[in-house]
Amino acid sequence: MKEIILTIDGKQCSGVAGETILEVAQKNEVTIPTMCYLKGLTPIGACRMCVVEVEKNPKLLTSCTTPAQDGMVVHTTTEKLFNYRKQVLELLFAGRNHFCMYCSQSGDCELQRQAIEHGMDSVRYPYLYADFSNDATHPEIQLDHNRCILCLRCIRICAEKVGAHTLDLQKRGWNATVVADLGKKLGESDTCVSCGACAQVCPTGTITLREFAYRGKRSQCDDAVESVCPLCSVGCRFKAYVRTGSITRVEGLGTEEPDGGQLCHKGRWWLPQSTERDRVTVPMIRDGAGYREASWDEALSFVAAKFKPAYERGKAGALLSSLCTDEELSLFSGLFRSGLKMEKVDTFDGDVLRGFIKGLDPFRVQGVRPFTAAHHILDSDCIVTVCADPQEEAPVVASYVRVAVLRDGAKLLNISCGEDPFKGITDVHVTMPGKAIRPEFLNALAKTIASLHLSESDTGTAREALEPYRESLAQCATIAGTDPKVVEEIAACLIQAKKPVFVLGGCAAKNPDTVTAAVNVAIASRAFFDDGLGVVPLVTSGNSLGAANTVCASESWLGEEDLEFLYVFSTGLIPEDETMLASIFRTRFVVVQTPYLVHPLVNMADVLLPAPAWYERSGHYCTIEGERRRLNVIVPPKGEVRGLSTVLDDLAKDLGISIERPAVPPCEAVFASRVAPSAAQMVLR
Amino acid sequence: MAKAKIATVWLEACAGCHMSFLDIDERLADLVEKVDILYSPVVDGKDIPQVDVGVIDGALGNEEEVHLAKEMRERCKILVGWGDCAVFGGINCMRNFLPPEKVLEEAYTDTKSTVNPEKVIPGEDLPALLPKAIPIDHVVKCDVYIPGCPPDADTILWVFQEILEGRVPKVPANMMRYD
Repeated sequence: MKEIILTIDGKQCSGVAGETILEVAQKNEVTIPTMCYLKGLTPIGACRMCVVEVEKNPKLLTSCTTPAQDGMVVHTTTEKLFNYRKQVLELLFAGRNHFCMYCSQSGDCELQRQAIEHGMDSVRYPYLYADFSNDATHPEIQLDHNRCILCLRCIRICAEKVGAHTLDLQKRGWNATVVADLGKKLGESDTCVSCGACAQVCPTGTITLREFAYRGKRSQCDDAVESVCPLCSVGCRFKAYVRTGSITRVEGLGTEEPDGGQLCHKGRWWLPQSTERDRVTVPMIRDGAGYREASWDEALSFVAAKFKPAYERGKAGALLSSLCTDEELSLFSGLFRSGLKMEKVDTFDGDVLRGFIKGLDPFRVQGVRPFTAAHHILDSDCIVTVCADPQEEAPVVASYVRVAVLRDGAKLLNISCGEDPFKGITDVHVTMPGKAIRPEFLNALAKTIASLHLSESDTGTAREALEPYRESLAQCATIAGTDPKVVEEIAACLIQAKKPVFVLGGCAAKNPDTVTAAVNVAIASRAFFDDGLGVVPLVTSGNSLGAANTVCASESWLGEEDLEFLYVFSTGLIPEDETMLASIFRTRFVVVQTPYLVHPLVNMADVLLPAPAWYERSGHYCTIEGERRRLNVIVPPKGEVRGLSTVLDDLAKDLGISIERPAVPPCEAVFASRVAPSAAQMVLR
Repeated sequence: MAKAKIATVWLEACAGCHMSFLDIDERLADLVEKVDILYSPVVDGKDIPQVDVGVIDGALGNEEEVHLAKEMRERCKILVGWGDCAVFGGINCMRNFLPPEKVLEEAYTDTKSTVNPEKVIPGEDLPALLPKAIPIDHVVKCDVYIPGCPPDADTILWVFQEILEGRVPKVPANMMRYD
């Protein structure tokens, strides 16, 4: 890292060799206008707004692509540059059909802002009035070519951060247009994952999201609050724009973040849409076929009265959402587990979560953190998906996988009982007969790879090294009921891999032994990252990891016997499982606390209690990004909605106990690690 | 000091820019202390007189508008373009993607709400359409541009005040808008 010194606009600016002039300038607080540049995406110098003059160089240089050199004397604000930039802007306006007065992005548009800042009060060039189309085929995303300035931000984010490679460029010069797949309309695209990243980075009104159009420009919003998406285990951070008390749009953070500022289709659409849903606003008690409104005091003492006898007979349970924050889960745990010593406490995703907990526990007791931050997939050279469908389970993880494979050339292996989740880009795909992967197969594979690793120093390259192990690989293949060549291929990839990573789907957690066996393969193939083993468990929801340490039961109990009392807390964001609903239905007395009128759950309630929605709460999530992330209040709750802490304290009082607050948040134990991952031992039972 | 003479003309545009001009509100009273508005949609002038400041609101879409724009240019010392239509062509440019004959057909016969069974398209009694609607500076030299749809009343007033002070202003970034 050689330090270099530049003079930019007379200011001594220090940078590091390899940085561009723009990067050095930004680091030293010198502002250079940009348009196509976005930190985190490959700079391409397309818009020419960032041109600078470098002394002893007759040409104007694009600062975003020109490497800074020691001793350069750079000017960024000369009259020549100002006029040149203004000229560029005028040409952009003349080239396509930019009419701010009927564009939903007017006021948020970077082209407009730059033009105004450059005093563009007229356009000196004749307009082309070229007839471009408006692609409105996608249900959510609109692509109006009339407003495109060909900055290619959308194409770059789609390729470099989402890894979908849906967008590209067709034709040349003024006729060039952004196109989906190989010339399809966006709505007909097979590859588009509808994440809306293209619209988030579009500097003009070309790509817009219907959901957010005309609901308030960013510039008109009262506030932009950072928070975390509760919908899946990744817990993407985002910014919510608020106008007159409602959320008008959500956007990921900067493109320079590991996740590239993405949100997936779930976060992008479900989160803002959920603010429009019907709410439970006051406590309600069943009265015949309907409900009557009640005060909190009445509702809670009624709940307490119904709870006590059921509790004494051991027939009371609590079913909680793992979309709750650490703080909320600690409260539940304090009330039901520590306070009332109840066995029957669990989360909605308990079955999947238990599979992971039990499967990972043998490694946790060794002091190793048995997983790594999900974005480390981007650093991997060999990704193995085990019974996983990341695009469904955690779409941003799917982006990581695609980017690692397509951009960085990582190998992609899939071991599952079903379809290949990444058709077309998978190197090796093994489908096993039956409904579940046999852990014996993975364990045999782990043993073979481990012994290969031990002897590789004296047997040369991987293919040759495989020779003595053909037999054991053939055995693996027999266990799996698959072609030995395919198993050999997998073993070869894993031996050659420097940093493999294993993505375990929820399906793998059906059998904890499969999880353990997959981690064994990870250890055998030396999947060691700085923060833990190269394993990404796709637990179900935003705070499943937090739930693992608080309210998740050690064994499943729901549905085993009909209960007399069940307390259900649902965040209403993810539909409940059918069999769980059936068990809830069979319970004699059900208390449902939920923000939304979720059907059919609310119809089963004997007492319905309001709860704050995700945007009205604050707290922390333990995410598979290996971070404790903060959920913030975006809009304060209205009406009779009370925080969970107040409600549970009142309920505890009615039950004659008090809730202990834990000193340490559950995340700390989840993320704890005493031993380096490389010291992990395989667990072969 | 003699009052400055002003003429404003409303060409191919909505009434927005002149409405925005009237939005100067009570300050209009102060302005007319210093200026005489001799010709404008808001006063009763029949012909554009010789003035100090001429204002054009709207794009040029037909021959009559070109004629009026040229007349205004000849009879004023400083020509001001008000609004996106005069400056950029504005919403009138929506028709630039069709040939003029199609535009007339669309307007007089094809729209769903039109009842015109004989498909009569007025010819002689309408000024001929230009091939495309264009900003005024494609035909006449414009001295001051005030983009905006419409420009803010404050900006319109500020431009008049500047001209009265003897300057030919350029709208600064903090006053400029395109929508």
